[in-house]
Amino acid sequence: MTRLDRLCAGIAAVAALATAAPAGAHHSFAMFDHVNRITLKGTVAKFEWTNPHVFIGLDVPDGAGATKRYTVECASPNVLTRVGWKFNIIKPGDQITVLVNPLKNGDPGGMLETATLADGRTLSDSNPPGGVFQR
Amino acid sequence: MSKPIAPSRLLAGACLALIAATAAGAALAEPNITGRWARYPRPASQTPPDPKLAPPRAGEPELKEPYAAAFKELRRKQRESDEKGEPLANGGAECIPGGVPSMMGAIYPIEILQTPKQITVIAEAGSEVRRIYLDEKSPPLEDIPPGYYGASYGAWKGNELTVETLGVREDVRYRDIPHSSKLKIVEHFKLVSPDVLHDTVTFEDPDYLAKPYTVTFAYQRLPDYKMLEYVCENNRSYVDANGVTRMKLDPESKK
Repeated sequence: MTRLDRLCAGIAAVAALATAAPAGAHHSFAMFDHVNRITLKGTVAKFEWTNPHVFIGLDVPDGAGATKRYTVECASPNVLTRVGWKFNIIKPGDQITVLVNPLKNGDPGGMLETATLADGRTLSDSNPPGGVFQR
Repeated sequence: MSKPIAPSRLLAGACLALIAATAAGAALAEPNITGRWARYPRPASQTPPDPKLAPPRAGEPELKEPYAAAFKELRRKQRESDEKGEPLANGGAECIPGGVPSMMGAIYPIEILQTPKQITVIAEAGSEVRRIYLDEKSPPLEDIPPGYYGASYGAWKGNELTVETLGVREDVRYRDIPHSSKLKIVEHFKLVSPDVLHDTVTFEDPDYLAKPYTVTFAYQRLPDYKMLEYVCENNRSYVDANGVTRMKLDPESKK
């Protein structure tokens, strides 16, 4: 973690404590590794514009001629709409690159931070810095 | 020829006029809170909130024993599980509604519809709905079927709306804070500026709370916002045998 990351995490943690905690967050995000982020490049197999979360099924080449399916959890359609996403912004077959917080248990899945689309646009998942997630 | 008006009738007339003016004034004093509202300050906002409009910090409730010790232990377990990356489940992970007052936390915007006899609150998250009946007497606790939203009855007094809620089910908890079936939730809604609304929520529970516990939710108007639907249909979170929240992978992810 860089000094800036730590500072951001600190500010976000203080900000979160300063007000009444928002009840009803869909689930805790402690199952994801917010520090050791990974980048995955692959082909979209599924794009599910659903609640409580949007999901991307991403087939990532394993370097040996096969692919591995990653399950990437995004924010909700509501949150993503507010930061510029659309229900059809990603389609099966699209080549995309995603920056994710991987599952701590090592399963092939994680939570999205950013997605870079085939046309070069990078979309945020709207997470504030420091792993304080309210979505 | 006109008869002189008796002083007593003049006085009565003046009183009636005063009563009418007061009633009109009271009616005018009721603010219009119809509209869409987002939590204030915004969670990811880069600009610091106005301290005069931001809600005060809530802290933790003062529970009676043995509930205080059990609650402290729950918070310890939650912290420990989070650090391990195995968060303990709550109802939200299973798409169970938050109820009252959790839905008022407005993780996503809320919509308030104000009419003379009823105030309806619709939360975008989970499409939760609560109805607050105005100027009616609440049924007694024993006649209210325990539920997520209980029975909410309120009245305007000047520019402040006071609402009392009874009948929130014991397993419907705000931030996991335990309560008895006797829980009474008292809310005061007030505009602290033309576009910032506060809902000051006080929990009263003679069995569980050593003293009333208050949290304040603050909202800012979203004038042009249109509420989005939210149907919790694709929940990939599940709770394992140890009460830990896990994410169900795509069936092909295991290949």
